[in-house]
Amino acid sequence: MESSILESIGQEIIGVMSPVSLCMLLVVLLVYSLSDSNPFSSSSAPIRTAANLVYLENPSDTTAQKLEGALLNALVFVILIAIVTFVLVLLYYYNFTNFLKNYMRFSAFFVLGTMGGSIFLSIIQHFSIPIDSITCFLLLFNYTIVGVLSMFSGGMPIVLRQGYMVSLGIIVATWFTKLPEWTTWVLLVALALYDLVAVLAPGGPLKLLVELASSRDEELPALVYEARPTVARNEGNPRSTLGLLVAGVSDSGSVELQAVSNNNIRRDGAENRRSPEYTAIQVRNLENVEGERNRDEGERSPLVGHSRERYSSDSNSSEYSTVIHNRESETSVDEEMSPLVDLLGMDNEREHERRDSVVASRGIKLGLGDFVFYSVLVGRAAMYDLMTVYACYLAIISGLGCTLILLSVCHRALPALPISITLGVIFYFLTRLLMEPFVVGMATNLMMF
Amino acid sequence: GYALVALGPSLSLFIAVISKKPFLILTLLSSTLVWLISLIILSGIWRAFLPLNSTTWWPFAILIFTSIAFQEGLRLLFWKVYKRLEDILDAFADKVSKPRLYLTDKMQIALAGGLGHGVAHAVFFCLSLLTPAFGPATYFVDRCSQIPFFLVSAIIALAFVTVHTFSMVIAFNGYAEGNKVDQLFVPSVHLAAGMMVIFYFCSHVYATPSCSVSEPYYVQ
Repeated sequence: MESSILESIGQEIIGVMSPVSLCMLLVVLLVYSLSDSNPFSSSSAPIRTAANLVYLENPSDTTAQKLEGALLNALVFVILIAIVTFVLVLLYYYNFTNFLKNYMRFSAFFVLGTMGGSIFLSIIQHFSIPIDSITCFLLLFNYTIVGVLSMFSGGMPIVLRQGYMVSLGIIVATWFTKLPEWTTWVLLVALALYDLVAVLAPGGPLKLLVELASSRDEELPALVYEARPTVARNEGNPRSTLGLLVAGVSDSGSVELQAVSNNNIRRDGAENRRSPEYTAIQVRNLENVEGERNRDEGERSPLVGHSRERYSSDSNSSEYSTVIHNRESETSVDEEMSPLVDLLGMDNEREHERRDSVVASRGIKLGLGDFVFYSVLVGRAAMYDLMTVYACYLAIISGLGCTLILLSVCHRALPALPISITLGVIFYFLTRLLMEPFVVGMATNLMMF
Repeated sequence: GYALVALGPSLSLFIAVISKKPFLILTLLSSTLVWLISLIILSGIWRAFLPLNSTTWWPFAILIFTSIAFQEGLRLLFWKVYKRLEDILDAFADKVSKPRLYLTDKMQIALAGGLGHGVAHAVFFCLSLLTPAFGPATYFVDRCSQIPFFLVSAIIALAFVTVHTFSMVIAFNGYAEGNKVDQLFVPSVHLAAGMMVIFYFCSHVYATPSCSVSEPYYVQ
């Protein structure tokens, strides 16, 4: 009996959603365990960071003051991020790529070391783990070095790289949750708006960055989470079935989402803060999918040979860093409405000329900043109550799903933040104000339905 | 412990059936979301009337009745969306010349949907209230002073998970075949389960240990 399609649809969405979920879960756990330990000391000694430059929140201020202060904080933060992104674009434009790469290595090292270290220390303190300082230091050092190595050089198993990406996201998100409450919420909304503008508006820095990178046919100088499928589960393992599914509906091609984040560190007083930016690139990758899908059937025979080549080339390049499939994306605009078969025929020739170049890795890529801010939202929801955590988690996951679907419909760079964060914030406030009295009141009276 | 009581069967169902097929995970998440949205809408509607006077029972009855009616309406809506989805999936299957959706597939989708509803219920009514349970003491509700509150909610959640999960399957089957009996069976079961909670209110009238009596009814 042939396997049903139900086995394999939606695989790449899950490939992105599971690390996001994992990251959120770990951040919630960390927030719970660390906030129990010092409920008073953290609020009494607020740290002055980049996000707190203008206004330092005090629990005893009035609402209007808090709101105003939070707005100012968020504004300053977004402006700083915008400036840094523009600097990054300039550097990239003038080909200071080496400098950028080294800077990113250094910043990753620093973040993993210091921020990860302090979280590590507070965990040890909280759980009273008997461990001496030399061991601790050695462990931390090893962890940091392996992290930097895995993220920025090839030849490492992809699982390790994914794990380090997730842990980096966790560390940064945990630090962000130390911000005061109003500031956090206003900051999240401001960043979502900024993301929307920066990616979609014509002068947006992220859009410029993406276009520069794609015109040079290079990888982006950024920290990106790649959800490559690590193991082929069954024979006809299609990589981008979502796109093909949508193709079944709307006669367009399958897609590959790349959401990229740039992480920069700014020194600010005693703190280091990471300010990520995001973008998402859309790349056509239709023929891969078709080819693999029909490997067994051999129905479209010109495709079979072609797909075999592609499959082997992909397995060679599975460890390479990402390269965007740019030549396809240029022609994709014209081919958008053409039937699938023609596209395949054309791609056959293109494939031959691109035999030697590195093939782009398939699977969805999501920027690390998205991880961070989703986790920040959920972590902040966790500080209130567990019910809000679930509500926000569901909202964010559905926002991510919507973004992915939207991506496969309109073939452009898309910001991954706005939809999810809007939904998350709405659900948080709705749950907190409306649902909680309802549910708790009913449950304590043992009314359940 | 309490969490496992409430969620044990659903967890095993999840691991056995759903985690293998990513599409089912997506179905689960979306049905959970739908349940959450229905809950939010209901709480929005009822917010004006809270906190209810907890000595009389009929406001609660109305509350439950409207909530259940709303949710059953949503189930119907879910079914309509599912029909459309089925068409898309079938077209897709034809395109890649794989066989169309089998009956087991359809049932699995229905199962995943129902499980999503059930898990959402368990999470929101039971798990989110469990954080106080980590502490040293436990909590008893006035109405039912024999069993700790957490255990009660866990058992009820378990019952409802089962109810939701299988009612979705039955409902889909009923709608598909136009079988009236099946179609009416589901809402009535839901209603009956909901109305059982009214038993708790009668405890102060009859002065019987009614919650320990009602619990076995629930589990059945």
